[in-house]
Amino acid sequence: MTQLLRDAYRYAVLSRKFEDRIIHMGMAGEIPPTLHPGAGHEVCQTAALAALGPDDKVLYSHRGVAYMIARGTPLTAILADIANKEGGTNRGKGGVMHVVDVPHGVLGESGTLGGGLVVCAGVAMALKRFGKGQVVAHFFGDGGSNRGTFHESLNFSAVQRLPAIFFCENNGWAVSVPTSESTSVPDIASRAHGYGIPGVVVDGNDAFAVFDAMTTAVARARNGDGPTLIEAKVVRLAGHYIGDPQLYRPDRDLAAQKDPLPGFAEALIEAGILERADLETIDAEAQAEVERAVAVVAAAPLLDPALALQDLYA
Amino acid sequence: MAVITYSQAINQALVEEMERDDRVILYGEDVAIGIFGATGGLRERYGGDRVFNTPISEPLIVGSAVGAAMMGLRPVAELQFADFIFTAGDEVFLKAGMWRFMHGGAYTLPLVVRAPSGGAGFGPEHSACPEAYIMHSPGLLCAVPSTPADAKGLLKQAIRLDNPVIFFEHKSLYGTRGEVPDGEYVVPFGKAVVRREGDAVTIVAWQNMLRRVLAAADRLAADGIEAEVIDPRTLNPFDRETIIESVKKTGACVVVEEGYRTLGVGAEIAATLMEHAFPYLDKPMRRLAIPDVPIATARHFVDRIVPTEDEIYREVKALVG
Repeated sequence: MTQLLRDAYRYAVLSRKFEDRIIHMGMAGEIPPTLHPGAGHEVCQTAALAALGPDDKVLYSHRGVAYMIARGTPLTAILADIANKEGGTNRGKGGVMHVVDVPHGVLGESGTLGGGLVVCAGVAMALKRFGKGQVVAHFFGDGGSNRGTFHESLNFSAVQRLPAIFFCENNGWAVSVPTSESTSVPDIASRAHGYGIPGVVVDGNDAFAVFDAMTTAVARARNGDGPTLIEAKVVRLAGHYIGDPQLYRPDRDLAAQKDPLPGFAEALIEAGILERADLETIDAEAQAEVERAVAVVAAAPLLDPALALQDLYA
Repeated sequence: MAVITYSQAINQALVEEMERDDRVILYGEDVAIGIFGATGGLRERYGGDRVFNTPISEPLIVGSAVGAAMMGLRPVAELQFADFIFTAGDEVFLKAGMWRFMHGGAYTLPLVVRAPSGGAGFGPEHSACPEAYIMHSPGLLCAVPSTPADAKGLLKQAIRLDNPVIFFEHKSLYGTRGEVPDGEYVVPFGKAVVRREGDAVTIVAWQNMLRRVLAAADRLAADGIEAEVIDPRTLNPFDRETIIESVKKTGACVVVEEGYRTLGVGAEIAATLMEHAFPYLDKPMRRLAIPDVPIATARHFVDRIVPTEDEIYREVKALVG
């Protein structure tokens, strides 16, 4: 666990610094401003992914790039996908929304929010049939939980006892709509009771708690006992998209948000997993890795538009 | 050659492919009994792990097929009525049709969605032949088998292909009988078949409309009009060449379909002929199709809007007689 959480912190820092750079380049017009920033979610995402094994599968949501970073996808590949350059993962077809890295178990993302839930059930169906104890985790938001696909996937996965973890990152906002206007219950995890599966609410800013909840859910899934719905309460530090002025959010809502990243660092130090001196090293190494990736992608050629006609059929 | 029903042919195809490849799984609403008879007995034979009923959850049925296929299984999912393609629109058009493309070809999606279409008396949400929507949409192969032999051979091929296939089974055909080749065979996608040779007019039709066209063609022959009847068998890939070559010979073309008229398959064929066979057309292109209204429940209403044998006979005779 010690090493896993140390790595999770490193991935979270790397993701934050990478996204800050992506946003900067996007605002400057150097790359398309297509990222949906993950700031505030990274701790939760990387801590949750730390509980998965290398053979497990991940379907992710649109909020940020920490998912792929935590699974081992190179920064250059992610940035190339954003910049429509050679060296990316989806050859100009999906941008940052559809980064895919099958060897690392990153299977992609649904453009329609909540659309991945049913795909996840199918992945879990296959993993169950393979019988190797693999699991799939699907990350989605509070907004996505209001799709009918949520109901269909959780019901079916429960009936079939599929090895899936449905991980809801609830930041309280579906673009501009607060959960108070869109969602019938304060805790989305409480909906799990309707499917006869465990529903767990966890503080998404507490990496240790997220890791524990995820570890329990993964063990349950591996053991053939079926899916778990985890709801992590997280903060959305940035807008929905790059340049979103967030005029729809009350000042008090924004002011109440606390960046979980420093808290994660303090918790790791307190637990004796990191020394304070490590923080600077991690920051510096992350920044250097970001700059290396930026340089590599800057030098890469734009994708050949002939690719627009490829990859549809096998 | 054995004579079996269309429904039995589909069952045979499923059995043979499930025997051949244990990655093939079959599921959907009521598949354990098979309400149209095509899947009966398969759960007993292959077990509940490979053949299972699903809840009434069409997005889940198709979406999970995409997930299972990307992991290497070869799912055959059933939508109990082809109209439910729209219930699972995201999963059919955006997931099955686009996920491989959108993810840069990172995986293949070898899945089949079986979709019983057409028929009379089922009502507006259970009667459509929505193949034109599939033909219009990138990424989805589309099969429209008309005979037991093709139903078996095309389904076996569909299961083996590495691309998503929407496989339309016409409900009025399930009980029809025909010869099926003995032994192992598949029918390739993208190869039309000439069901009847002639030089007076080219008629393109498939599934239940093909049956009516062939009956009408016999009557036309008695009047001295020899129609060439083409069954495309698949709409994506679509064998334009066979139709173009036939029209070069006949100089006239009629498309008879059980879909809506506007932007139907007939419209695509008309455009194809304008682009590739314009100098050969001696007559205006004709389309017989449903006049852009939903398909009512009353059977005599259905007969009013779906092309009948009489209507086909009259229209073709008026065109080239």
